[in-house]
Amino acid sequence: MNGSKSLGLMLLTPAIVFVLLFFVAPVILTAVFALTNMSTATGITGGAYQVTQSSLRKLAESYGQAELANTLAETRYTVNEEGLEAIAADGADARLVAEMRAKLGGRSFEKRRDLESAIKTLNSRPRNTRALKALSDTFHRSIVNERFESADAMLRATTNLGVALSADQKSALADATYTGWVWTTQNFTRMIALPDTQRTLINTFIYVFATLAIFNTGFALVLSIATHYMPARPAGIFRAIWLLPRISPPVLYVLLWKWLAWDTGFLSNFLANFGVAPRNWLLDNPTNAWIFIVLINGFVGASMGMLIFSSAIKAIPGSLFHASEVDGASRWQQIRYIILPQLRWPILFITCYQSLSLLTSFEYILLATEGGPGGATEVWALKTYLTALNNYAGNLEYGYGAALALVLVVVGVVLSLAYLKVFDFKTMVRPPRIEQ
Amino acid sequence: MTGNYKTWPMILLLGIITVPLVLMYVYLFVDTVTNSAPGSLVPNEITGEHWRFLWQTLPGRPSIWTATFNTFLFATVTTLIVLSVSSTAGYALSRLNVPFRAFFLAGVMVLHAFPTVTLIIAIFLILQFLGMYNTLIGVILVKASLELPFGIWIMKGFYDTVPWEIEMAGIQDGASRFTVWHKLVLPQVMPAISALGIFSFLAGWSEFILPLVLAPDNKVQVLSVYLAALIADDNNFDMALFKSVGVFYVLPVIVLFLFFQKRLMSIYGGGTKG
Repeated sequence: MNGSKSLGLMLLTPAIVFVLLFFVAPVILTAVFALTNMSTATGITGGAYQVTQSSLRKLAESYGQAELANTLAETRYTVNEEGLEAIAADGADARLVAEMRAKLGGRSFEKRRDLESAIKTLNSRPRNTRALKALSDTFHRSIVNERFESADAMLRATTNLGVALSADQKSALADATYTGWVWTTQNFTRMIALPDTQRTLINTFIYVFATLAIFNTGFALVLSIATHYMPARPAGIFRAIWLLPRISPPVLYVLLWKWLAWDTGFLSNFLANFGVAPRNWLLDNPTNAWIFIVLINGFVGASMGMLIFSSAIKAIPGSLFHASEVDGASRWQQIRYIILPQLRWPILFITCYQSLSLLTSFEYILLATEGGPGGATEVWALKTYLTALNNYAGNLEYGYGAALALVLVVVGVVLSLAYLKVFDFKTMVRPPRIEQ
Repeated sequence: MTGNYKTWPMILLLGIITVPLVLMYVYLFVDTVTNSAPGSLVPNEITGEHWRFLWQTLPGRPSIWTATFNTFLFATVTTLIVLSVSSTAGYALSRLNVPFRAFFLAGVMVLHAFPTVTLIIAIFLILQFLGMYNTLIGVILVKASLELPFGIWIMKGFYDTVPWEIEMAGIQDGASRFTVWHKLVLPQVMPAISALGIFSFLAGWSEFILPLVLAPDNKVQVLSVYLAALIADDNNFDMALFKSVGVFYVLPVIVLFLFFQKRLMSIYGGGTKG
């Protein structure tokens, strides 16, 4: 008894490790990331503090610190120890350095002209204008576009500039200039607010229902019933041909459709004979794009239904068909009263199983239209992928993408639990018999 | 099952619907060794130029042989991991009195249907944290893990069909449960293991999204990403070249499929793709 238990755990361990690392951890992390604004811009490990034009705008608009933002945006001239050492190192007169430290030390000026006139009042001032300019340039101080590892370092630098900060201003400045990611629920409010979301939702429904109804169950039924009424040889050939899309790698399979649909492809060449101008049928308008998306996915999807329905039909005792023929049943009556009732469960299974896989598949759409033209064929899963992992803007929004993915996780788990209920999970997990 | 109905209407009906599919696959092979005049669909000369990628590296792309080797490594190692892990876990779930067995099975069942897209963002970031982004080993571990629930489920199903009497007899003779599994049960499910192996290999060979996201670099590029990048490059449009690379890429799949059709069918019946 115990042997079975510990051996079982031992045999399960590798699987548990893999599943924890690459299933459970990602799902949890997806939920975590969904609550952040993580993106390429914020990085994933944490950020720094940087005063940029956009962070200054944020400081002015979101934190109501317009005045502070203006002050920081100005370039300033500050006479401090750092600058004095710099001019000493450049070979400036020691007396000048000492005099500047005594008279101007710690003062700051808004314009270079102001600093220059202050220097001109000194006794040991440089005689020529060029030296004067070079001298004052050394005191040029601004923290715009400078990068600081910590908030403290940035605040110290700000104080060095001669800008005094209140406690409120300090925290506002630190928040506004932080470049790393922060916790936020904005992903979800944004998802609900964007009109794009609604369109993606509608696209997803069109995609799942059209493909499922027309091909994955509808055409799969036609295929399995038609091949059932054929001699073995043609039936085998048809089944083999319809399996091709499933066994072909997706990249190659979609390439074949592109060859069919592109403006230099088969369809354009063929229709040219009838005076139709060549065009890219895959992308020229949303309707055609949708037709091709459903065809591309449907041709792949039909084969699974075909296999399952065919084996279900094969399981029907032949005597039923013979008897019905003797009684004068038409082919339609055989289909209606013998075959279809037998297929009730397989059809339900295919519908459940493939609605879930269609909902989350985007590979073929990505390869065929990339959601185009103009986002017309962008479904939820593809939107998730494009948002987080591949877009033209170049800023990958991991946080928002994770929030989109989380919606799919929730829908997927709810649906599969519901399907498990339908398909009597208990019979699949009968307890082992040796121990009983 | 033909009965006394005419069969030709069925053949005709299906034949018409099947035409586009046949055209696509016939032209796939024809176009790789022929040229046609622009705007014409009938080839007018035979040529080998579309296969030049075999001996010369295309501009901006890695060598086709690098990509082929990477693909082979990716598919093989993935398969080995899937086989070893799911043949043990499947047995534990099928026959052993593991605590939380129902929970594990439900977990496997739910994960089996779990979509890549919901995981890939987090996986992408995890691999970056671990420094395994743009490495083959990273994408191999991920692919193997994602195949596991399916593999475990299939193996569990096959173990379920092995008669209990075999194990009972082994236990009676004093063998340990491990020996029983190793010496008696495993040989019984060899056909299942080879079927799952071929299936995993094909799945690895065809995989596109994972290597695209997790290992896109030229050095670790696999054939699917290679071909997709070739097609996406607007500056060098050459449909016949694309198709030749495509045929090169799909040949192992076709060969494996022709040889192991029967065995694969037992798995495709429970297929994974939409």
